[in-house]
Amino acid sequence: MKRSFRSMTAIIAAASAMGLGMAAAQTEIADPSAPVEHKGQLVIMTKFGMQRLAPYFQTLAQQYQEMHPGVTIDLIQEDDDSVKGKTKTLVASNSIPDVYFSWTGTWGGNFVRGKRAVDLTPVVGPDSEWGKTFAPAAVDAFVYGGKNYGIPLYLDAKFMGYNKTIFADLGISEPQDLDAMLAACDTIKQAGITPISFGNKEAWPGIHYLGQLLAYNVPREVLERDFDPATAEYSHPGYVAALEQFAQILNRCTIGAGVNGVSYQNAIQDLSDGRSAMYYQEIIEFDNAASAKTKLQPQEFGFFPLPAPKNAAGDPKALEGAPEGYMISTASPNVPLALDFMKFVTSQENAKVLSAPPYGQPSAVVGGSDPAQMSPAVVEGLQSIAEASYLMQWLDTVNHPRVASAWLSGLQAFIGGNLSAEEVVSQVRDAAAAAS
Amino acid sequence: MAAISQIIQNGSVAGAAAPRRAAPRRRRWPEPGRLASRILALRWIALALIIVGWFVYYPIIDNFLVSTTNQDIFTGEVMHVGLENYRRLADDPVVLTALWNNTAYALLSILFQVFGAFCLASIVEGLRSSRWRNFWRAVYFVPSAISTTVTGLLFYFIYQPNIGILDGLLTGLGLEQWSRIWLGDESTAIYAIIAMSQWQGFGYSTLLFTIAIQKIPRELYDAARMDGAGPLRQLWNITFPLTREMTGMMIIVTITGAFQVFNEVMVMTGGGPNNSSQVLGTWLYQQGFIQNDMGYAAAIASVVFAVTMLAASAQLWFTRRRRVQA
Repeated sequence: MKRSFRSMTAIIAAASAMGLGMAAAQTEIADPSAPVEHKGQLVIMTKFGMQRLAPYFQTLAQQYQEMHPGVTIDLIQEDDDSVKGKTKTLVASNSIPDVYFSWTGTWGGNFVRGKRAVDLTPVVGPDSEWGKTFAPAAVDAFVYGGKNYGIPLYLDAKFMGYNKTIFADLGISEPQDLDAMLAACDTIKQAGITPISFGNKEAWPGIHYLGQLLAYNVPREVLERDFDPATAEYSHPGYVAALEQFAQILNRCTIGAGVNGVSYQNAIQDLSDGRSAMYYQEIIEFDNAASAKTKLQPQEFGFFPLPAPKNAAGDPKALEGAPEGYMISTASPNVPLALDFMKFVTSQENAKVLSAPPYGQPSAVVGGSDPAQMSPAVVEGLQSIAEASYLMQWLDTVNHPRVASAWLSGLQAFIGGNLSAEEVVSQVRDAAAAAS
Repeated sequence: MAAISQIIQNGSVAGAAAPRRAAPRRRRWPEPGRLASRILALRWIALALIIVGWFVYYPIIDNFLVSTTNQDIFTGEVMHVGLENYRRLADDPVVLTALWNNTAYALLSILFQVFGAFCLASIVEGLRSSRWRNFWRAVYFVPSAISTTVTGLLFYFIYQPNIGILDGLLTGLGLEQWSRIWLGDESTAIYAIIAMSQWQGFGYSTLLFTIAIQKIPRELYDAARMDGAGPLRQLWNITFPLTREMTGMMIIVTITGAFQVFNEVMVMTGGGPNNSSQVLGTWLYQQGFIQNDMGYAAAIASVVFAVTMLAASAQLWFTRRRRVQA
């Protein structure tokens, strides 16, 4: 029983004390003609903390420092989970790095609302020279109040990855609707293989299933109205329908309530080791699930969007996902240098490195992916993203934190059989009312 | 035997003088010269006072001030809400869950890490061979040398429903009906974490009790044996009273630690599923750093402070009591 709690309390108090004494930051607009002075220090917080991804920014930082000996780059590399807490700790203590990772939606909106992000419209807006190098949809995802605040780095979306060998051995083809996938699960289960490996110990993997099912069952305009606590109603029957479909997937395709005790990393490992037939994953995980080092070889790996239920009220062409990118802090003493480094990161050459194995992060830069160097699955995934009617953002980053928390804990209780679908929606509705 | 017990109960052994109570003295102010010299002497500890005040006492006061506000960490806006966050605490079902989990943590830790460790230390110290005594001390201490994060991951794999050895062992023994989704079931998650914590902390407590037992004069045991006392009687009439100070200290330290627990829960469940394994520390973190509600997080921190302060006060009171000495 440890003392870290005591330290944390002190951090909260100290952070709050510093925060109390500081006025809100001022709006800052990037100037494209500002001269870049190649000296000084840049602190950059990435979401590339995983062992497989960490070398990307490390290499770029080293190259940039060699090109500009007067510049020192300090990297703070976090992973999917830790970046959330780390970012808020740094914001609360007014120590936000010069360049920092951001999701789209409410997550990024918080930095804009707090005037923590530089208005990048003149440098990365759709009409700017640099802005034209990105996929327009990726640039558009970081628009708040008509202004651009983010530099998109890569595109992300969720797909059901599967083992082609298991499917072929059992005579199963890619399912075209939800019922077909459930039937495939029954066949795989009868063969003694786990149909879908699913780990929900971290709570957000379950939310990803639900986000896609909500896009299929609830019209887009209703979802967007409900994402705002001030206008949220959560009265559309599609919410309950999506949860019921999720329950079917849980019961027929996974180990059931036990998923709450399994980490998502174990679940993806099960697919890689051939112990499961499918795993619902982000495109940025494709090269992690199947590589030369895993039992599941890249040529055996296939994917399809989570199949839509027949006659659902939402959009069957919608795809869950969003670009992810970086913002520049208004507190940075050297915004032109930070922008110059990010231009270097998003050059065509470096974008191609990012898109190819072992990183496998499909770049948001137009022409920043070379199919010859990339995994075929990632190339096809990019095509599917381009064909989607719209990208449904992650439920835990598009919603108010209190609403996101209600979804996360409510879905774990639903999986455990302790809440009904109606009770989960009611809990979310109450959270939205409290947050408004 | 009765004589030995009587001597121990009375707080001294033969030859030890009973403490004399000093007569009350009238308080006198020091002479002006001496007062000035005393004030001047304070300069030698001024730096230490400033550091302690700034890093220990100021955060405590500031934490309470923050708990009377609602803050938006992104905009820096602060709204004073008085004791509203404390009213919210009373209505928050997760706070009740967390309080119960911390209490269960404390009670089970006292049972295993204090009384269990005491019994084990007595058994180990009762071994005739010093080689075996050293061996068992080392064996029990090893888990305490492993970091909590590593232990948490280790036990995550032990409890894992697919490949975990615990369920595998139960199934192998024909006890499938006992297997559970230990960390994924709302009714077992916190107890699975507590069990891991006992495994890790048990050896350290045993070592402390071992040291306390080693300080007891062997003559008392020899005399007890001559009076016909068996091992259990010796344990109850000699070992237990003469390690009372250590036992009391361990209880207080265990309670304080149980209300500060954080790492174990964060590593193993993150407070889930459905907040069932939240403790005050993790709920505080969730509110402050995930839900951006720093004011409410500070209110939770104040509750933790109050509980641990009570435990610390009990510790001070306990150590000021007349000690049982051998």
